Amino acid sequence: MIVFDKVWFAYNTRDVLKDISFTINSPEKVAILGESGEGKTTILRLILGLIRPDSGKIIIDGDDIANKTEDEFRKVRRKFSIVFQEGALFDSLNVKENVAFCLREYTKMTEEEIDKRVRDILRIVGMEEAIELMTEELSGGMHRRVAIARSLAASEPKMFLYDEPTSGLDPVNADNICRLILELSKDGRGFIIVTHKVFDAVKVADRFMFLKDGMIVFDGDKEKLITTTIPEIQLFIAELNFKSQVRAMQ
Amino acid sequence: MNPLKTKELTGALQDFYLLSIHGLLGIVRKPFYFKDTIEQMDYTGSDSFLIILLVSLFIGMALSLQLSAELALLGLKMYTGRIVGFSVIREIGPVTVALVFAGRAGAGMASELGSMVLGHQVDTLRVFGVDPIKKLVTPRILSSLVMLPILTIIGDAISIFGGYYIAAFVSHQSSTFYWSSIREILTFENVFSGSIKPFIFGYLIACISCYTGLSTKGGALGLRRSTTRAVVISMIVIIVSDFIMTRILLYVLGFPV
Repeated sequence: MIVFDKVWFAYNTRDVLKDISFTINSPEKVAILGESGEGKTTILRLILGLIRPDSGKIIIDGDDIANKTEDEFRKVRRKFSIVFQEGALFDSLNVKENVAFCLREYTKMTEEEIDKRVRDILRIVGMEEAIELMTEELSGGMHRRVAIARSLAASEPKMFLYDEPTSGLDPVNADNICRLILELSKDGRGFIIVTHKVFDAVKVADRFMFLKDGMIVFDGDKEKLITTTIPEIQLFIAELNFKSQVRAMQ
Repeated sequence: MNPLKTKELTGALQDFYLLSIHGLLGIVRKPFYFKDTIEQMDYTGSDSFLIILLVSLFIGMALSLQLSAELALLGLKMYTGRIVGFSVIREIGPVTVALVFAGRAGAGMASELGSMVLGHQVDTLRVFGVDPIKKLVTPRILSSLVMLPILTIIGDAISIFGGYYIAAFVSHQSSTFYWSSIREILTFENVFSGSIKPFIFGYLIACISCYTGLSTKGGALGLRRSTTRAVVISMIVIIVSDFIMTRILLYVLGFPV
């Protein structure tokens, strides 16, 4: 369980998050929506301890993580699996080496075992054919898939964190990534997806939070999201209406 | 001074200090990243090699030309080899090679690490529980500590050879006298004075370049800034630290000033 209790965070003098409070349970499927620069990614970085809050508490599974050392954080981070924006693959390594990175770092698996495990994981994300490719040879969608595969190899996470997993992707690839996100959450492991693509968020999530001016101005389910009267959110969900209008025209 | 700027500067100095110490201690602490270190040695060494060869050759030749012309006026042309030798070994060689190394390898380190920061690869390492300083900084420090002294020795030899070419074939001096002068100045004091500097320069270049690379912010413009900053700061630090080291070494080795 993730609890944010009156969290403030500023980059230099700009307040990014102002008095944010929420609770997310591990099996929940949450989408954090908002315009670019509203602090969506900052929330994920705070959860992982990559940055520290200026004030307030962040409690993960009953443990306040705000003042943990980098070494203590490693334990916390293993509860999560994150896919950064655009994948963040190591560009000096090929697909196999990227996925095998943590296996080599932390396990005593033999080369044969690593090869088998990597192929198994790549099969799950539908990327087995690309095992020998370098990262610059991958398309945007393939990048995200390999990043998801790498995060699966890294740990047995309780929860997945996705930072803009479909941004910059064409609708077909974005849909494939959404399916994969849902597939991986079938065994009860929840996720937090940070995105400004409301259409993709609606496909995968059950709970939606909307960030505006560093505050959560909306927290609710799909029905509440669609019927909200908050003008900023209405602008966002216009994308959904547009798609339904096109469908009606067809 | 703006208190916010002072706080920022103090924080940056503290971070730089921690990175430098932690990065150096990483050489003797597990885990060891041999493959990364060898890759860095290949990159920093082989990529700088040709430039250093060229720069050193022409510096040696120019130095010999200038000295021959000036010493000829005083009737001391035969001392060209001696002066070329000790100025290259003690001063010009280490500094020139370090400046080229900062421009070539230092800029590469800063831009590579900077793009890793911007691409969230460094964050990914932290999420995976890998210490970025151990994984990224230590191999670069170690490779600089090994490669810069090697490149300096090669650069010194090429400069002296360049000086010989001018002395023997342009200024028509005795080859035998030139090489015997070089042998004479290859004393412990001179060699020690010239060989201690590349280790210090290598360490400083790697630390400065890694620090500026890892503190990159703000997209392509930020990357350009941090790469430029790495080279400029490294060059200034090389020149200043060279003066300080020269003063200390002359005192320690008993050279009269």
